[in-house]
Amino acid sequence: MATDKELNDFLESVERRAFKQAAYAVRKDEAALDIVQDAMIKLAEKYGDKPLAELPMLFQRILQNTILDYFRREKVRNTWISLFGGLGRRDDDDEEFDILASYEAEEGTSAAESSADQVERAETLRLIEEEIQKLPARQREAFLMRYWQDMDVAETAEAMGCSEGSVKTHCSRATHALQKALEAKGIKL
Amino acid sequence: MNTDDINLAYKIRHALNDNLDNLPASTTDRLAAARAQALARKKADAPVRAKSRQRAAFDVSSLFSMQWLARAAVVAPLLAMVAGMVGVYQYEHEQRAAELAELDAAVLSDDLPLTAYTDHGFNAYLAQQQQAQQQPQRAQ
Repeated sequence: MATDKELNDFLESVERRAFKQAAYAVRKDEAALDIVQDAMIKLAEKYGDKPLAELPMLFQRILQNTILDYFRREKVRNTWISLFGGLGRRDDDDEEFDILASYEAEEGTSAAESSADQVERAETLRLIEEEIQKLPARQREAFLMRYWQDMDVAETAEAMGCSEGSVKTHCSRATHALQKALEAKGIKL
Repeated sequence: MNTDDINLAYKIRHALNDNLDNLPASTTDRLAAARAQALARKKADAPVRAKSRQRAAFDVSSLFSMQWLARAAVVAPLLAMVAGMVGVYQYEHEQRAAELAELDAAVLSDDLPLTAYTDHGFNAYLAQQQQAQQQPQRAQ
């Protein structure tokens, strides 16, 4: 059973990656923070007494479900908005566009303060993140869980609710897509 | 996946990890606050859990009792009002029955038979008798 300190350490070790993972999916930092907070609370409330070894997989599953819930709520909200006003819909699109643009500008701003190398490196990181965001959701989930969250194939398959073969396929396709996209942009890692 | 693919995946992982350090302070603060909030709501250990279950059961029962009180507070006045209306109706009904019974008794115990009141000849006779009584009074 995980103690308070163990749970704290675990959450501290995954919170930033979880935030980025959610941000890649929903493309809104505020929403991503809310998602991570919900996932942390759900994990602590429902699985706080589970052994430490089980927490990564449980947290990933909760995180993915919370992201899905967010998309479901957004879908319902957009349906109502499209039903009750075209103007509201256009505003939303503008808002989404602005958030993405400001997010990019934010990255650029922090890079602009650094040296030329750091600028180039930050730009590379930004392009990698951009390409990861462009991946199909399932490929992105599989790739990030498998190679970023240090989960093995079986754990990833369980967290995603699919077979191990599907995880391998998603990971392979994601890696090839990233390789092709980065090469097209002249990025060599 | 071949070795090149795996290498690329791990290089991307390395790049992503590097980027984690560039998160704004507001974001890391918010994540720390979220973590603290989650820890505050952590599922308790087994013995404590038993206590918390008891507490939860108590809370649930008290919640139910509160709900029943709230329901009773709404239902009791309604029941009282319905009971009052039924009582008033019964009382009025009995009053009406008593009046009718009194009237019936008066009619039945009268010297005249009941059919006399529906007889036109008898009514004409009564009117004539009244006129005859009034005429000597006027003469006086």
